[in-house]
Amino acid sequence: MLKDITVSFAPHISQPLSTRRVMLDVAIGLLPAMAVAGYYFRIHALLLIGTCVAWCAATEWVCNRIRRKPNSLGDFSAVVTGIILALSLPPVLPLWAAAIGSAVSIVVGKIVFGGLGANVFNPAMVGRAFLTASFGVMMTTWTVPASIDIEMPTLSAADVVDTRTQATPLAWSKTAIKEGGEAKTYSGRLFFSTMTGEVAGCLGETSAIAILLGGAYLLWRKTIGFHIPAAVLGSAFVAAAIAYLVNADAYVQPFFHLTSGALLFGALFIATDPVTAPLTRRGMWLFGIGVGTITMVIRILGEYPEGMMFAVLLMNAVTPLIDRLCKRIPTGGKPHA
Amino acid sequence: MTDDLKDKRTFSRGVHPPESKHLTEDRPIEPGPGVGELSILLSQHIGAPCQAAVKKGDLVEAGQRIGECQAFVCAPVHAPVPGKVKELALKPHPVLGRCQAITIEAREPAPPSLPSFDLPTDFDPARYKPDEICEAVRDAGLVGMGGAGFPTSVKIQPDAKPPKHTLLVNGCECEPYITCDYRIMLEWTDQVLAGIRLAQRACGASKVFIGIEDNKPKAIEAMSAAIARAGSTSDVRVVPLQTKYPQGGERQLINAAIGQTVPTGGIPPMIGVVVINVATAAAIAGAVLHNRPLTHRVVTVTGEAIARPGNYYVPIGTPVEALIEFCGGVTEKSAKVVMGGPMMGLAIADLSTPITKTGGAVTVLTRHQIGQAKFERRQTACIRCGRCLEVCPENLNPTRIAHAVKSNLLDVAESHFIGACIECGCCSYVCPANIELTGYIKTGKIFLARQRKKMPA
Ligand code: SF4
Ligand code: SF4
Repeated sequence: MLKDITVSFAPHISQPLSTRRVMLDVAIGLLPAMAVAGYYFRIHALLLIGTCVAWCAATEWVCNRIRRKPNSLGDFSAVVTGIILALSLPPVLPLWAAAIGSAVSIVVGKIVFGGLGANVFNPAMVGRAFLTASFGVMMTTWTVPASIDIEMPTLSAADVVDTRTQATPLAWSKTAIKEGGEAKTYSGRLFFSTMTGEVAGCLGETSAIAILLGGAYLLWRKTIGFHIPAAVLGSAFVAAAIAYLVNADAYVQPFFHLTSGALLFGALFIATDPVTAPLTRRGMWLFGIGVGTITMVIRILGEYPEGMMFAVLLMNAVTPLIDRLCKRIPTGGKPHA
Repeated sequence: MTDDLKDKRTFSRGVHPPESKHLTEDRPIEPGPGVGELSILLSQHIGAPCQAAVKKGDLVEAGQRIGECQAFVCAPVHAPVPGKVKELALKPHPVLGRCQAITIEAREPAPPSLPSFDLPTDFDPARYKPDEICEAVRDAGLVGMGGAGFPTSVKIQPDAKPPKHTLLVNGCECEPYITCDYRIMLEWTDQVLAGIRLAQRACGASKVFIGIEDNKPKAIEAMSAAIARAGSTSDVRVVPLQTKYPQGGERQLINAAIGQTVPTGGIPPMIGVVVINVATAAAIAGAVLHNRPLTHRVVTVTGEAIARPGNYYVPIGTPVEALIEFCGGVTEKSAKVVMGGPMMGLAIADLSTPITKTGGAVTVLTRHQIGQAKFERRQTACIRCGRCLEVCPENLNPTRIAHAVKSNLLDVAESHFIGACIECGCCSYVCPANIELTGYIKTGKIFLARQRKKMPA
């Protein structure tokens, strides 16, 4: 009567959710940021995204062939790495550099650890760190969005020469404060620009609204939990507020920090990478607080205007330790004996 | 204690699988098929297996004891129908693989008739001595009918330390698809209540709670009405619980209904609680009031692959095959036959496996249903998403344990409390990487048990 029946462990049903779907959701969450990048930075933004995705996917495919592993492109994780890497690059980065960064992301960030799930560091950030170290100038050359003229106050005579590039709001405010403390006057107007994205910056980080929209989708799909973003943003805000309260002339307003630079993008899309973040909720809080605080320490005390990438990579390194610290105790307590 | 119960109506974590109860919830209990040959497994409970008390060729009467044992934790087995002992042989067992069984050739195969139950008008549990109740229950071969199959007489025996203060009746039936307990609560309400009161009398509990998930409002109503009818039973209360899987897990139920936590590795009596299932309660009433041994039970035959799903009253020992045939066979290409529900049930390969005292359901799943989940989707590496941790009702770290087992690091698995896993399947259910976490954990437990046997401490 019944041929062909199978036997396996319970449970025999499961949630219609797959790794591919999780990754696809992240890609969907990144769509608004990609759209804004395309709108402001035009064709070059799209070329960058395309290059990164294609190179990440191709690298993974080649590595799988070499290692004689089954093709793993179907889980879409390489695509997500490509998109995130692209969105963390400055808009005028040459495509060949993006291609190198993508290959490094996959090979050094993922394959050497053993592939999906085994990597310690966020692959996209590994690639970005490599590019920052190798092509420092290119990685800090920003153009302004194509839609606006340069209205931001010039920083020094040298900047007037180049009308195409401009500092990011964070870099600018940092220098401006050093030079004469004008930051306050402009941060109100800049705040609005950082919401819409009409500022200089990396592809995906300029528009707070687009990032929040995508983040809300991920939260709604339960692809990410609120713990890490809340911890990152909360701790960054606190750190910025302390600095601001200590010396309001030397530091910009805390809200300005939240919307500018990579903080928001990083909090929602980079620090939340499940593979490289802790497993437990308690661990997630610790991890997020670490990322937020380190980012702000670098921003406030360091020379470098941005700190997200370093913060994430540093905290990735301590994730195994956090996981060890946050061991779960069974509901009924530790068993005796 | 009474009013704060309202906010403690569930445990933490768990999952919400599709309930799929619509297939059978409105189908009253009907007699199952009349089968010519029944195989009574000699191990149908936790504890020592029975020894056959008959030999090949013996004639047996309905209700005659055919297997027994002297161990304390044990329950005898009885012949469900009159007939002749055809053989004593190994038969497929849903859990053990194979097990000794007594096969009885029925004298004249006929569909079983539904049991009648008359509650004496002056029924008063106080008139029965606790020892009498326990003895009747033991003689009738009662075991927990909800799944684990612990001999009921041991559970409800009076002279235990610490004293049993609460009797918790499990009417949750949180497994998807299954509806036999639900129908029993609706149709055999008085019998269930009588059994509950006898069990209470036996174990001496001062409080009784009947936990029912709130997706069964009719059962909540019926049980409440029966309590009101019986009068003077203010110590028996229905506690509606949130619909969530595994609400009917013993530890989760206790947590939800009375807010107490059973220690890890411990059992409910350690905190003075006894948990019995509603079907068991009904059987207690049958055993004590009507001297009825446990020879039949209600089985939900269900699943999208069954033509005529329903709740059937069948003799224990009926082969699954006969039940499926009786229900019109399978409609679509079926992929899996599960004894029990889809979350915790055991998939069987051999359809001659007989129904046991603990087997409340046969679920036949189609390839499509499983395919969506288990066949078509490939497994990937763990992406450390933490979903399995989020749903584990025992607050474990399933992925860590499973990976330890996979790498044969049993001590690591133990350091993450593998023994505390109740095998509910929630972690596997949610895993997007489609890793059989529960399967690995079960395997790890078996390895550990073997290791211990080899090296006694
Ligand atoms: S680890 Fe065990 S108790 Fe926890 S969800 Fe998985 S099967 Fe259930
Ligand atoms: S649910 Fe699956 S993928 Fe997610 S952490 Fe657990 S085992 Fe890993």
